[in-house]
Amino acid sequence: MSKVLAISAKGLSKRYQRGARAKHDSMRDMIGDTVRSLMTGDAERKAREQFWALKDATFDIERGENIGIIGLNGAGKSTLLKILSRIVTPTEGEAEIRGRLGALLEVGAGFHQELTGRENVFLYGSILGMTRKEVAQKFDAIVDFAEIEEFIDTPVKRYSSGMYVRLAFAVAAHLDPDILLLDEVLSVGDIAFSRKCLNFARSLEKRGSTILFVSHNMFSIKTMCPRVIYLKAGQIAFDGPTEQGLGKYETDSHLESAAWFPGGDRDTGISITGFSIHDESGAEASVIDHGARATIRIRYNASRRIERPDFRVGFSRSDDVHCMTFSSFSDGVDIPYVEGDGLIELKIPPIKLVSDRYSASIVVREHGLGDILSAQTGGHFHVRHPLYMPYYYGVFYETGEWRALPASVRSHQSAG
Amino acid sequence: MTDLTHDAAREAAAHAAVTRIRPMRGLLDLDLGAVWRYRELLWVLMMRDIQVLYKQAALGAAWAILQPLFAVLVFSVIFGFFVHMSSDGVPYPLFAFAGVLPWTYFAEATRRSSTGLIDDAELVRKVYFPRLIIPLARVMAPLVDFCIAFAVLLVMMGFYGVMPSWKLLLVPPLMVIAAMLALSIGLWLGPINVRFRDIKHTLPFMLQIWMYASPIVYPLSKVPPEWRALYSLNPMVGVIEGFRWAVFDRGAPDIGVMAASTAILAILLVGGLVFFRRMERAFADLI
Repeated sequence: MSKVLAISAKGLSKRYQRGARAKHDSMRDMIGDTVRSLMTGDAERKAREQFWALKDATFDIERGENIGIIGLNGAGKSTLLKILSRIVTPTEGEAEIRGRLGALLEVGAGFHQELTGRENVFLYGSILGMTRKEVAQKFDAIVDFAEIEEFIDTPVKRYSSGMYVRLAFAVAAHLDPDILLLDEVLSVGDIAFSRKCLNFARSLEKRGSTILFVSHNMFSIKTMCPRVIYLKAGQIAFDGPTEQGLGKYETDSHLESAAWFPGGDRDTGISITGFSIHDESGAEASVIDHGARATIRIRYNASRRIERPDFRVGFSRSDDVHCMTFSSFSDGVDIPYVEGDGLIELKIPPIKLVSDRYSASIVVREHGLGDILSAQTGGHFHVRHPLYMPYYYGVFYETGEWRALPASVRSHQSAG
Repeated sequence: MTDLTHDAAREAAAHAAVTRIRPMRGLLDLDLGAVWRYRELLWVLMMRDIQVLYKQAALGAAWAILQPLFAVLVFSVIFGFFVHMSSDGVPYPLFAFAGVLPWTYFAEATRRSSTGLIDDAELVRKVYFPRLIIPLARVMAPLVDFCIAFAVLLVMMGFYGVMPSWKLLLVPPLMVIAAMLALSIGLWLGPINVRFRDIKHTLPFMLQIWMYASPIVYPLSKVPPEWRALYSLNPMVGVIEGFRWAVFDRGAPDIGVMAASTAILAILLVGGLVFFRRMERAFADLI
């Protein structure tokens, strides 16, 4: 098959007015703002308030390619998907899309609470661009995929959130597009269903669909996409093989705010300024042998006095499974307060995690189990062991005490 | 077998359908073809509105009848019974009903199409489709109410012994005009409503004034001749007068008034389309 471009983007850019959405919700606000801007220098302020959510994005995607789009929050990932799905128009640049495009930016946008599951399947199907005939043909398959046969004639407002999401995804999954844009949607629902979704995405891939996939889950990116586009502050910082792109992204995201932490930009009084892992000899290391004792050093800067802080260090496996956490508070270590620059050292017990790549995260709370002040990503490290792989051994490996007894003794024991 | 044809279709589609994304330019870049391609969605959104409307109300379809009937009752007592308003030779309740009916439709359609973008904000933010579909679908749904109430009018006419003629066939085109008018207002107010939520509060009161500026409780003949020309700039004048003529078959419509109504409607509609398209690009950013 000859190479056919599915998407070709040239210089796509989107400029936003900072805070444009919140401003001017009523005319009274607008009048107030206008008067205020007349009195202060408005032109200058306006220029400062404008920012490029996406700047000069140029790339070609061939038919059948699977592309992961990675980047920190606010790097322009969603803006890019919104432009490609035509929800917003670009300020500059253009793109050409060949084939039917399906975009799943939010599962269930378009469902109506009052309508039944059946009615919503037709509604959502046509919103996503299917004809009614098409929906009717695929109806049974959709209901089957969503696993909600007995509730199909119940209004969706009575659905559990899991059922809701399953039905919405099932409709979208049967859109059968040539190009599919996915924004974090595979991470919804329970594990069994996410697996089903992932399998479905793979089957689309086999049929030659092109998939653009935004995710924070590096594991899904790695399993699904051979190529990544890494966005950084609205610009393409890397476009190429996934391993290389993820490496670059991880170097950049060292000590960044954790993606799940909403107050990332807020000044809460303390931030982590350094994180390093050291092996038993004291040298900085990125590979720890299974069973070895590593030392973790955390440097912090506290702009105010933080009372009774709890320092936590967590390790997550490469597929984002949170494996373990150390907590100074839970370990009964009493730190009365911290202020200014300082260093915390944690010597971990012999590490029993299986051989894989892990990412560390650091969380600081006040008053023991009080407010979370800081949640940052630390570095990455590998645990090394020739045998203990996650697939066979699970999360960690500990030796047990075994005893082999002759059969006669065994039956004697079970009788007694 | 199915897979083969499917793949062939996919192949063909992939070669044929090229979507170009670019910054919008040009005033008359209306792209009405896209609305046609999305006609199924128009239908589905319309059906959704109707289904939701009747599911939520306990009395359901009865509201379609009760609302205008109640207005007619009030008008009949005040203007028919107390004021003895002239009513072009038909019993006053019938006269008022024939005015209230197209007006109720128009007011509801206008209100719904003006607030549609906000009510469906979730859709506008997350899914692409020609935004014109929203006000368009919204003017259609209240037609169901209208049809139910229209049947009641026919029954009432039978009761008063007023027989309709072939001119009844003119009711559908007149309602199309009313729908287009409501759409035009929605095209102007909808985008403004996205920016300033004040529209929601001012609209009921604007419609109230507009109602009294239309020949609903009084006949057109009550308007002083020297004011007629200005009065006819209100496109609902033509619609309501035309409606009465079509159902009662009394008198003849003023050609001048009808022409003025149509001209104003055309200006509002074309201007509204251009305005809506110009504003459309920012909807997802603003909502």
